[in-house]
This record gives sequence, C-alpha cells and structure tokens, in this order.
Amino acid sequence: MAPKLSLKICHLYPDLMDTYGDSGNIITLKKRCQWRGIKTNVSAKSIGDDLKGDFDFFFFGGGQDKTQLIVAYDLQKKKSSIKTAVENSAVLLSVCGGYQLLQNYFKTKDGEIIKGIGLFDAHTEGSNDRMIQNILIEINDDLQSDIKSTYPCHTKPSLRGVNRRSNLNIIEDRHASLAMTNCIKNLIGFENHSGKTYLGKGVKPLGTVIKGSGNNGDDKTEGAIYKNAFGCYLHGSLLPKNPHFADFLIAKALERRYGKINLKTLDDSFEWQAHNQSIKITRSRG
Amino acid sequence: MDLRFYLALIVGKISAFVLKLKGSGATAAPGLYALSFDPNFVKKFSKQITNGSIIICGTNGKTTTSRIISDLLASKYKIIHNRQGSNLLRGLASTFINNSSFLGKVDCSIALWEIDEAVLPQIIKDTNPKTLVLLNLFRDQLDRYGEVDSIRKSWQTMLLTLPKTTQVILNEDDPGIKYLEKFAGGKITTFGIEDKKVNLPKTTNVSDIKQCPNCSSKLIYTSIFFAHIGHYTCTSCSLKRTSPIISASNLIFERGFKTSMRLALNKQKLNLNLNIPGLYNVYNILAAGAVSYSENLDGKLTKTTLEQFSSAFGRYQKFNVSGKEIIVFLIKNPTGANEILKTIYLQEKLNILVILNDKIADGRDVSWIWDTNWEIISKKVSSIFISGSRSWDLANRLKYAGFKLSNKNVCKQINYSIRQAIVSLNNKDTLIVLPTYTALLETQKILSKLARQEKWHQN
Repeated sequence: MAPKLSLKICHLYPDLMDTYGDSGNIITLKKRCQWRGIKTNVSAKSIGDDLKGDFDFFFFGGGQDKTQLIVAYDLQKKKSSIKTAVENSAVLLSVCGGYQLLQNYFKTKDGEIIKGIGLFDAHTEGSNDRMIQNILIEINDDLQSDIKSTYPCHTKPSLRGVNRRSNLNIIEDRHASLAMTNCIKNLIGFENHSGKTYLGKGVKPLGTVIKGSGNNGDDKTEGAIYKNAFGCYLHGSLLPKNPHFADFLIAKALERRYGKINLKTLDDSFEWQAHNQSIKITRSRG
Repeated sequence: MDLRFYLALIVGKISAFVLKLKGSGATAAPGLYALSFDPNFVKKFSKQITNGSIIICGTNGKTTTSRIISDLLASKYKIIHNRQGSNLLRGLASTFINNSSFLGKVDCSIALWEIDEAVLPQIIKDTNPKTLVLLNLFRDQLDRYGEVDSIRKSWQTMLLTLPKTTQVILNEDDPGIKYLEKFAGGKITTFGIEDKKVNLPKTTNVSDIKQCPNCSSKLIYTSIFFAHIGHYTCTSCSLKRTSPIISASNLIFERGFKTSMRLALNKQKLNLNLNIPGLYNVYNILAAGAVSYSENLDGKLTKTTLEQFSSAFGRYQKFNVSGKEIIVFLIKNPTGANEILKTIYLQEKLNILVILNDKIADGRDVSWIWDTNWEIISKKVSSIFISGSRSWDLANRLKYAGFKLSNKNVCKQINYSIRQAIVSLNNKDTLIVLPTYTALLETQKILSKLARQEKWHQN
C-alpha cells in the first residue's frame, strides 16, 4: 500500500497578514488535499514563534501597512529558517505584502528603507498610484509546462461529486473542459497595491501581464520565482479559482518527501467556471 | 442675495424634477449638479438648521442606526434626514434640494446625516455638528477606501479640529474607536455591551485591529464579540475598555429574529423586547440609545420606539410572495456578513439565495467572501441558490465551505434566481436572500413587483 501522504503547512503571520481573503488559499490547499486523502497540518507562526517543524509549504499573505512594519522586524529572525527551507525544496507562496517582505527591501514614499530577507532578488518602492483592479497574467513558459505535467485535469472532469447534471450541463462541462486546456496558461486574481516591484537581473517573473498592472505597471512582469518559492500580487483569492496552480504547488510540496506523485483528478468544474467568469469580466472591463 | 447658491438650487430642483419624470431613482445626481455650481451649497443650507446636525458614521450600521434615531427624535424635532443612505456630500445636497422651498428655505429644526467613513472629515465641516456618533471601523471594500488605519488617522485629525460644543458618542467596545476619545474636545458619551458571553455561534475572526492603536503593543481580550469588538486591555499603555455610560446586558437572541436585552442609559434601566435580530443590531440600538440619552428623551418613549422598530432598507426586510415569507439581509463585508450568518444560524433550517455582484458600490474585489465564515451554516441549509455577476466565485467559495451544490442552482441573472428560489420553497418555508449592495437594489425591485402583482390578482 502506498504510504499515507501528508503535508506540513506553515501559515506565516496569519493573525497579522490576512487582508483580502488570502486565507482562501489555505482553505483551498486543505480541501484539495483532503479530497484526495492527503493529510494536512497547518501551523500558524507569528511574532516570536520559531519555525521548527520541517515544513513542506509556507504561505505568506498581505497585510495593512502598519502591521507590515511589525512583521518586517520579526521576519529578520525567521530569515535563515525560511531561506534554508526554500533551498531544501520547500514550496512557498507569498502574496502582496508577504511577497514584498521577502524581497531585498521596501522603500517607502518617504524614503524610509524597510529591510526584507532577500529571498527574491527584487525590491519595491512606494508610489502614489494605487493599482487596484482585476489582473490576468500568462504564466511564464517553463512554469506552464511544469503545471501541465502536474495538473491531472486535461481530460474531461469526472461527473462524480457535485450532484447529478442534466444533459445541458454535461455539454457545458465539455466546454469548460475545452476552455481548461487554454486557461491552464493563465492566472486570474485581483491586485491592490501601491508599491512597485522591480526584479533583479535574471529573476524569473511568475508571468506576463495581460490585463492589470502587475509588479510595477511598466515592464509587464508580474510576480517572481525562486526555486519553489513564488511571489505575486494576486489576491482574489488566488488558489480557489486557479486550481491548476493550486495542484502544482501541492504536487511540488509532496515531491519533496515522497518523490513524484500523480495527483488524483478532482471535479474542478466550479473552479473553472469561477476562473472563466472572472477572466471574462477582466477582459471586458478590467 | 447669494446668486451662486440660488443658481445651484434651481439647477438642483430642475434636475430632480426631470429625473423624477424619467422615473430615475438617482438620488445623488441633483446634489452633484448643484455642488458643481456652489461647492458651499450644503454648508449654506446647514446654517438654517437651528439645532445643527447629528452625524452617524462607521463601517457597519449607519443606515439602521440613523433610522432608529430618526424615530426617536420625531417627537422633539422636525428632521431632515438622508434616509435612503445616499451618504456622500452630494447625497446631503440632494436631500436639501428635495426638502426646501424654491427660495431655499428648509423648515426643519435638526439634520440627521449618515456619512460615508472615508469622506467624513471633509463633509463634517459643512454640517454644523451638534452630535457625532462613531459606530465602528471594519474592513470594508478596501479596494475603494484604502486601509482601516488610514481612515482612523483622518478621523483623529478631524476630531482635533471639531468645535468643543460638538458632543461625541463612541463605541467603547471597539478599541480603534475608543482610542479616538483623547482627540475629542467636547462632551463624550460611550456605549458598549456588558455581558461577557452571548448565545451565538462562533466564527473565525476577521480582526482589523491587531495591536493597540495607541502604542502598537499586544491587546488582550477577556471577551470578544466579533472582529475586534469586545472587552480589551492593552498590555503596555493605558488604553482599555471601561464601563460605558450606555450599556446592554442580559442579551438573549431568539429564533424568529427577536432579541431581548436590558438597556442602561446611565442610571435609567429599560428592559427591551426588540423585533430585530443580531448582535450588530444591539450596537445600533446602543448608539441610538446614547443619542436619546444626550437629548434627554423620555425613558418610556425610548422603550416603545425601540421595541417598535423593525427594519431598515434591506436590513432584515420582509416580503410576502404567494404566501411565502422572504427576508432580505444586505451583506457587504466579512464582518457584517459573519454577523448575519450567526443570526440566521439560529433558525432550524435554511433556504437561502446569496447574490454576489462586483459593481463599484459592491466593491470590485470579491475576495472578502473568503474571509466570511460560510462554514457555520453549511449543515443547516436545505436549499441554496447562487446568483450575481460573480456567481461562480461565490459558488466555488461555498463548495469549499462544504455546501452541497448543484450547477442548476447557480445563475448570473438575479431575476431568474429569485423566481427559481421562490418556486422551490415548500409551504411555510422562509426564503432568506443575502445580496450585496447593487444586488439588493435589484432584489427589492423584483420582490416588490412580485408582491404587487399578487395583490393585484387578489383584488
């Protein structure tokens, strides 16, 4: 019998960094694992806590400006644990404020420098532009093919799970399934930041902006990748309506302990409907 | 003669008339036009109101609280009030346009204004404030407002410049509001809940205050009612909750959307049986009670008025279609929505329709549905329909909250979903509709029409 799979997830500063529904990402990780019989154990780690526990996955969401300062100070004490974990293939997803604090530094509008931990070779500068809108990106090519190899849902989604459907709905499902092969390229979310992020030379962005501002509104890049660590400005929440990315992160986190695992297919028709409805709205009005 | 003012007034009057002919419900437009001719339009009108104004502000509860206050003050004053909740400067201007003569005379002795929290500091200068009520400050449509901290900071500056004659009524249980006490120069009245516990289910907490707003140290709570509202003490500075002058105790929340409580207005105690549900409404009652106290209203009159109050626009509003009861609760942010979910949880079983729109007035960002604790009602739901421009975001959220869902019950068209939800009701069942703001407007149109048609058939 295959070993019972389990994931140890660390939610960084959930009490302080929890704006814009970012906890939806944790709900999604837990549920998608649970539906596949994968055990999850989520630990909340905040001010003063150590990061012992050999975590497979770190999540770091956004927060308000004032709390972000307090977190920045404490994060320095967790710097080496986080960096070591990422060097040892742990997966990390950071959004907005979390993403900013993992860079080299944040320069506020008043010129004050808030030190980051330099996981991503990038920095952010405060600005007067508030970049608030739906954001649609195309995932960078390498990552796209990695996602393709882990997301188990290229075929028709199973009809189990979400009640019985009429014939009409099955046709809709086929449409959804067709759309899926296209959309596996994209991520959709909602951005809300005034900081402009500039990537260092050679840093891979998460993707290219199709609609929205992304890292800085100028260079069309969005987010950053270092090994299995990902940073981005996508709230929304991100993972619930981007199931391909959610599963990719889960697969990567499992790989660390168990080698390559083929994830069981889930019925993602609701997820893709949400994905496609959001994209449609974003394309039509931004 | 102030030509600018009269020009603005005439433009406002004419546009209000034209809009009325066209059957448009645009309540703010005439005010907007008038203000473009005379930016001091509201300020000039306010000078006529002999007793000045009572201002209600906060993230949640403005409309309900100001309607309760309006009922309370009706015996003492002739009131001008933006009842429809149009709460930017243009909304106030429109209210003046609709309630003045062609010569610009307003026959009212007090103004009652609910004002949007983001624009309060700019607007309050124009209103000759007698009393300012600050209800609470939560996360709400951050895509529109910016962050809670920055709004609080703007209120802080505003309080420092208010005249000493302005009374300030503050929520003692919200540390972010209590913190503002020291910036207010005038007389202060505080309100809060004295009970340590309440008989409502717990939700995971969406707290917008993580540390002491004064010194950034940790806050310790001995009771927490929702979000950051409760009994707190700072671990380092002197900020802490103390016993408020206006308080509620012996709270009991009952099935059938009723609430009983003991209201203390300083020394005077009133036992109340209220026809409105939810902890959030207790705070609305408290804030209104504080105004009653500061206006020296009669205790008996206060008790009857509060007990008779049933609902405000879209907040626990009832409709009857084909003998079936429909109750509408506006949802607009995670804290408010969590409180509604706790309230409806008390029912034995639930037939619900949830509608999520993402227009500007709803907030473009729908991520707040992930901060809302839908999980607590998932086991009580016997039927559920999902609608609105972001129907699938919501359907997906509810899937992850453990609801059993069918594709067939998800539809973008609100009209269709409402009819579908009503048809599927068994006799004697109640349908609970939870719409976001713009969805509420549409829901009300549809439900009023359905209720009217029925009356017509009966006649």
